[in-house]
Amino acid sequence: MKPAWRPAPPSIWSRGFAAGLEVALYLVITILVAVVEYFVAGPFQDFDLSNWWIGFIIMAAWQGWHWAAAQTPVGSYVDHYIADTDGSPACFWCVVVRQLSRFGFLIALPVLAFSTNIALAVALFAVAGLLIAFLPDGRAPWDLLAGTVVSESLAFERPAALAEITKASDFQLGPQRIAENNRARRMMLIAGLSSVFISVLILWNIFSEAWEFVSASEFEWSLLTDIGWFPRRNKFDLATLFVGTLWITGIAILVAAPVGLGVAIYLAEYANSKVRTYVKPMIETLASIPSVVLGFFAISFISPDILKPGGSIFGIDFGIFSLLSAGIGVGILSVPIVASIAEDAMRAVPKELREASYGLGARKATTALRVVFPAALSGISAAIIVAVSRAIGETMVVFIAAGGSGGAIFEANPTEPGQTITAAMASLGAGTDSVAGSGIAFQSLYFLGALLFIMTLLLNVFSDAIVRRFRQVY
Amino acid sequence: MTATTPDTPKSPLKTGAGKRLTLDALKRDRSDDLTGQVFLGLLLLAVAIAGAMVLAVLITVAIDAADVLSTQFWDFLNNKSSSDPARAGVAQGIRGSILIAGIVSIVAFPVGIGAAVYLEEYASDTKLTRLIEVTVRNLAGVPSIVYGLLGLAVFVQGLRGITGGSSVISAGLTLALLVLPIIIITASEAIRAIPSTLREGAYGLGATQWEVIRTQVLPAAMPGILTGAVLSIARALGEAAPLLVVGAAAFYSTGFQGQLDQLQGAFTALPMNVATFAKLPADVWAGHAAAASVVVLVLVFAINLAAIIMRARLTKKLGR
Repeated sequence: MKPAWRPAPPSIWSRGFAAGLEVALYLVITILVAVVEYFVAGPFQDFDLSNWWIGFIIMAAWQGWHWAAAQTPVGSYVDHYIADTDGSPACFWCVVVRQLSRFGFLIALPVLAFSTNIALAVALFAVAGLLIAFLPDGRAPWDLLAGTVVSESLAFERPAALAEITKASDFQLGPQRIAENNRARRMMLIAGLSSVFISVLILWNIFSEAWEFVSASEFEWSLLTDIGWFPRRNKFDLATLFVGTLWITGIAILVAAPVGLGVAIYLAEYANSKVRTYVKPMIETLASIPSVVLGFFAISFISPDILKPGGSIFGIDFGIFSLLSAGIGVGILSVPIVASIAEDAMRAVPKELREASYGLGARKATTALRVVFPAALSGISAAIIVAVSRAIGETMVVFIAAGGSGGAIFEANPTEPGQTITAAMASLGAGTDSVAGSGIAFQSLYFLGALLFIMTLLLNVFSDAIVRRFRQVY
Repeated sequence: MTATTPDTPKSPLKTGAGKRLTLDALKRDRSDDLTGQVFLGLLLLAVAIAGAMVLAVLITVAIDAADVLSTQFWDFLNNKSSSDPARAGVAQGIRGSILIAGIVSIVAFPVGIGAAVYLEEYASDTKLTRLIEVTVRNLAGVPSIVYGLLGLAVFVQGLRGITGGSSVISAGLTLALLVLPIIIITASEAIRAIPSTLREGAYGLGATQWEVIRTQVLPAAMPGILTGAVLSIARALGEAAPLLVVGAAAFYSTGFQGQLDQLQGAFTALPMNVATFAKLPADVWAGHAAAASVVVLVLVFAINLAAIIMRARLTKKLGR
């Protein structure tokens, strides 16, 4: 008893074509898995090509089962129903679970066949499941392509409901839809609370460990002013680290502020759209360079090729490691931060202000400097403060290029190696296991972390306050 | 701006000096404007310096890496780390980075997108909402090494039974926390850009709030959300400081490892390889540090490029 509006079942040829597509898809996935496998498991470590045919046998059985299922009245109906999205969609979680099992199977198969790497198979299974769960209706594009979404469970569940003509009551809120709605809301709230949870975790862990450092029996406040930072010899002179951090931050801002603001003013006021398409990606490229790479750049280019020849003119002898070199490296990292935040602030200044300025006969430079710049000052100062906060927290450039390893003597001269708060933490962290046993040196890691957290938090709150206090509402 | 100047030479303005101000005079004034030219010159200099920075980094790394990459390219990609420069490679780093990226995307994507949906779609202006917003903004500004401390305390020491201590699971979870605020912020922006008419249309057809979000808001915001999420993966792949604290190994040797050991055992990642090589004497190891940098840069740039292409395609598909 078929309803009149039901579309005709697919022909055996289109079904065969779809099955062929699915086998091709399986091949592509197999090759991809092999590539991933090659890098993840290491070349031919537990990588065995001899079982490749197992996947094909299972695949063929799978397709045969599909074909047989499609021959039954219910099977053909369901096969077609899912392929065409006629009528009301199936229950969301039914589709998700069905797709999860089907697609996870498809991917995990070659992994199992090739390597018996169960961990990887499980991981791929989860990734594929998430991918599919986030697509509307849990239907993956390649499923539409293959057109064969037969579900055993659905095959015996849906037709009865579908045979009825849609009624007005179908649009009423059923208990299932209400429950689904509430469940979704609860899950999103939990996700939203994750940030609060992480903040509490950071505060609790760092400050409780820092308190352990301060309240330890070996600890005396005079240790914090002993000359030099040698945590393993219980010398925790904070001045040594603060001087280093101040130098790095100061040098970084001296590099980043002029260059970043120049780029920002140029992009916001002068550049036409064609120039922007070149300059903008350039800044984004700079922003995406990882800090370790800039640390390497500092010791392989800034120190030997810029500072050494430059310093010899003034009679300063630069080594490979110096605070100046690391500071310039951090400055390069900070350029895109200053440039992008300041540019956004200047672009937010309304056009009318510029037009009024031109109308009064002002030159372009005057307009940019005396009208737009002051109007965007809150955003621009926020950009500088954010850059300062980033420079204080920057670790790897300083760790690699400033030269302070396990300990550092007090050094106020930026042409010499030095140590910052972050680099000291990195040095302590790099030897975590060996540090753990040796008295309070391990807790000093958290003490520095607490200091760093407070400093950057204050700066961020400060920049937020500036933006809110001085923002001109247009 | 010349368009706003009266374009009629027949009605000359009188300037204070008594000279007639015509459009021609204004144009000449612009080219004679020395201060303006100097200012523009300075701005162009700043742009040129920024460009020189990018080029200098890329060229330095490429030149330093040329030797290693040309003589031992496949060995470098396939070998484990070693104390012998001729046999040292980054295979362990590549493996670690891929696994970390996988864990970050499994953990951080759903939570981040869920939090963004809550903030933009569900939350009303309550104290709790404001608390969440403030914490997200502040977490985005917390230095990455502080997240390393969190990972050390919670995942490495607290949950040692599950993560196995200093392992790729600990590192992946730590970096997931690190990129979570970034994903929340970018996803929020993408969702905020969806016009409310789309939601109202769906509500008008009787959809529940969750149905509106699932069938209208999320698909429409997907290009922006995915771009932010993919870029955050690039960020996670470049981070080394938290890994250093969580306990990434400079060198480790693997005998036979069971399946679980691959996730719970010693690990390293590409940026850690760079840092390790860069800390060794430069005369022998600079080439390796540069070559590892090239691998990181290629990976990061490829991900960024993929994000750009994906965004363009998805936007085109949605017809916006």
